[in-house]
Amino acid sequence: MNKTAFGGLFLIVLCGAVLLRGPGLGLRPMHHDEANQAVKFGLLLEKGEYRYDPADHHGPALYYLTLPIAWAAAKPTLASLEETTLRFLPVLFGVGIILLLLVFVKDMGRPAVLLAGLCASLSPAFSYYSRFYIQEMIFVFFCLGFIGSIWRYLKRPGPGWAIASGLFAGLMYATKETSVIIFAAVAGALVLTRFAQKKRSGGQAATAGMRPAHFILALAVAIVTAALFFSSFLANPKGIVDSVAAFQAYFAKGGAAGFHAHPWWYYLGLLTHVSSGGLVWSEALVLALACLGLLSAVLKRDRLTVFLSFYTILALTAFSLIPYKTPWNLLPFYAGFILLAGTGAAFVFERVRRRIFKIPIGLLLVLGFAHLGWQSYQANFRYHSDPRNPYVYAQTSPDYLRLVRRVDAVAALHPDHERLLIKVVCGPYETWPLPWSLRRYERVGYWTEAPASDGFEDTPVVIASPDIAAKIGPLLADKFQAEFYGLRPDVLLTLYIRNDLWDRFIKNKD
Amino acid sequence: MTRKAIIYAIASVFTILIGLNTLSLSQAQDTGKEELKLQLPKPMFIGTPRNIKTANLEVITGKPRGPFFAPKGTKLVSLKKPVLSSDMQPVIGELNFVTDGEKSGEDGYFVELGPGKQWVQIDLGAETVLNAILIWHYHSQARVYRDVVVQVSNDKDFVTGVTTVFNNDHDNTTGLGIGKDKEYIETNEGRLVDPKGVKARYIRLCSNGNTSNDMNHYIEVEVYGGRGPGLYPGDPLPPYSPVNTNHGRVAS
Repeated sequence: MNKTAFGGLFLIVLCGAVLLRGPGLGLRPMHHDEANQAVKFGLLLEKGEYRYDPADHHGPALYYLTLPIAWAAAKPTLASLEETTLRFLPVLFGVGIILLLLVFVKDMGRPAVLLAGLCASLSPAFSYYSRFYIQEMIFVFFCLGFIGSIWRYLKRPGPGWAIASGLFAGLMYATKETSVIIFAAVAGALVLTRFAQKKRSGGQAATAGMRPAHFILALAVAIVTAALFFSSFLANPKGIVDSVAAFQAYFAKGGAAGFHAHPWWYYLGLLTHVSSGGLVWSEALVLALACLGLLSAVLKRDRLTVFLSFYTILALTAFSLIPYKTPWNLLPFYAGFILLAGTGAAFVFERVRRRIFKIPIGLLLVLGFAHLGWQSYQANFRYHSDPRNPYVYAQTSPDYLRLVRRVDAVAALHPDHERLLIKVVCGPYETWPLPWSLRRYERVGYWTEAPASDGFEDTPVVIASPDIAAKIGPLLADKFQAEFYGLRPDVLLTLYIRNDLWDRFIKNKD
Repeated sequence: MTRKAIIYAIASVFTILIGLNTLSLSQAQDTGKEELKLQLPKPMFIGTPRNIKTANLEVITGKPRGPFFAPKGTKLVSLKKPVLSSDMQPVIGELNFVTDGEKSGEDGYFVELGPGKQWVQIDLGAETVLNAILIWHYHSQARVYRDVVVQVSNDKDFVTGVTTVFNNDHDNTTGLGIGKDKEYIETNEGRLVDPKGVKARYIRLCSNGNTSNDMNHYIEVEVYGGRGPGLYPGDPLPPYSPVNTNHGRVAS
């Protein structure tokens, strides 16, 4: 494949990725994790305040990287932010991942990189979480950047790639605590690759190790980068120590997974075949091509493919053995599968020499990629909040948006408008994403337990979780119109609107 | 109070109870009603969402629905009847699933219409006296379908002569009027609507997503028709009866 053809086709792949990631970013209601991150970012945006929390919320990179986007979009406050502003960040990194694959062109070859790009572009998992305001997509970007930089360094040792790998390592650490798993998987894969090379060449490793000076340089860059983020750019030095202390909490969380405990085959199951409510999902095409990539690693002994195979297997094993599992955690090792899939697909075309066989294989691949793209479209634009979508996880139901719209509608009719008094009486599990959705209202109070007396006489709007609604419902029965809305599957919220406001709303509607 | 008085009192109460029972039976016979035998699919889930108790949601009793009495001769008139919809190209299932007689809650038995407000419409083929409409949206998960409105008419476009027989759209989201019926959680029993003998050829059922997702689903809709002054669609015509060629019913 010549350079021009590759450039043109790669551009098409990139456009495909943009089309699946960019449009309709406000379609899906905010997930409670996204809302939580958004409100935390709002504090940084408005007051410049950020303190790393070792108990939760992951690293600071997400918040600091969102700042330029909010500034560029001229959104200086939490109230002015939109879902699209925030989700633009993962879109950028989701598309950036495909661009990063270019780092591997020299070693993998153009066809393999193009096919890997196509897999990443059309993958439902990659496209879905590229529209999700959580750490995962920027984390995967930094992981790939780290892997690419390390590999480039080993191929051509020099301070440039050493600094790049240190920078990416620091950013990985500043993004998510699971970075340590990736560091371990990369280190393990490097050792195993070296061992395999030595065995093959009778004791002589084909790639050089890292020079001590460069290693120290990379480590220093990583530490400085991470320290700047964790210390809130030196405003909170304690954040650096907290970033290490956090592992205690995360190790405990990983073992005692509770609701998030899933069997070891959970991730492979998600990627292979999920059938639910009449919908069937599968990214088995990528896995099958990745298996061919593994085969090529065995047959061709290409060093990068061998390294990627070891990395993918080690990372998959580590993530699968941790009882705590969420679907987005599959992305860091799935990135390895995608690189291998590109290699595998290219390997098939390389091995099959006769055109008569190449044509049907090509057609099958086109059909497979079309199916992958169709699933991505369905996952992002039709079933974005539907529990039958395998990547939907404790997602806020679209029914919840009706609640938000109802509050907006009655607030517009109330003389206080955005100063409308709203009381939210919900357990912690049911509170989010309300603080995000009600961010424009200046007088919103949050309680986690029902008050002793009703205390709602002066309140035009009350939102309650089911257990609390059962307690306060009788007190409000005569004075309020009650409606209920789905928050998540099997979790409801009750919205109480004072009768005078409700009557005005209905009259206005008529 | 003497012993004799007590015996008299008990005997009187007993007599009154027997009398009332006889009266109600004779009334049922007088009005020509009998219990409508319904075949329900097996339940797909146990339990309901946690503590749902709000004013516009039907109280969850957990007990089976009582018997429904319909005029004698009432029978299923919607089986295999043609179905139209606001979404004529559903992504999952086929529109004919609505009247195919399959009520299972498992995958492969429901049709999924697009997000937001959608409707399905059954054409009975002729004006029919409607005695019961039984609706199963989706019963493998506890969920509530929004703005369920059931209308009947002889006008296929539902412009004239429209009768609303069920409406739980309490805030007029659909624009079909404010409904006074309560919302309800889907179960294998389906939702039984009593059209009270209204005559119509077309039945239109609207909904507006549900508490779990934006989509609209139908597993089955059963329409039970009664004899009344008309005939069942497809019944042989009685001899020497003048026929309204539009509706295939006996003219009065």
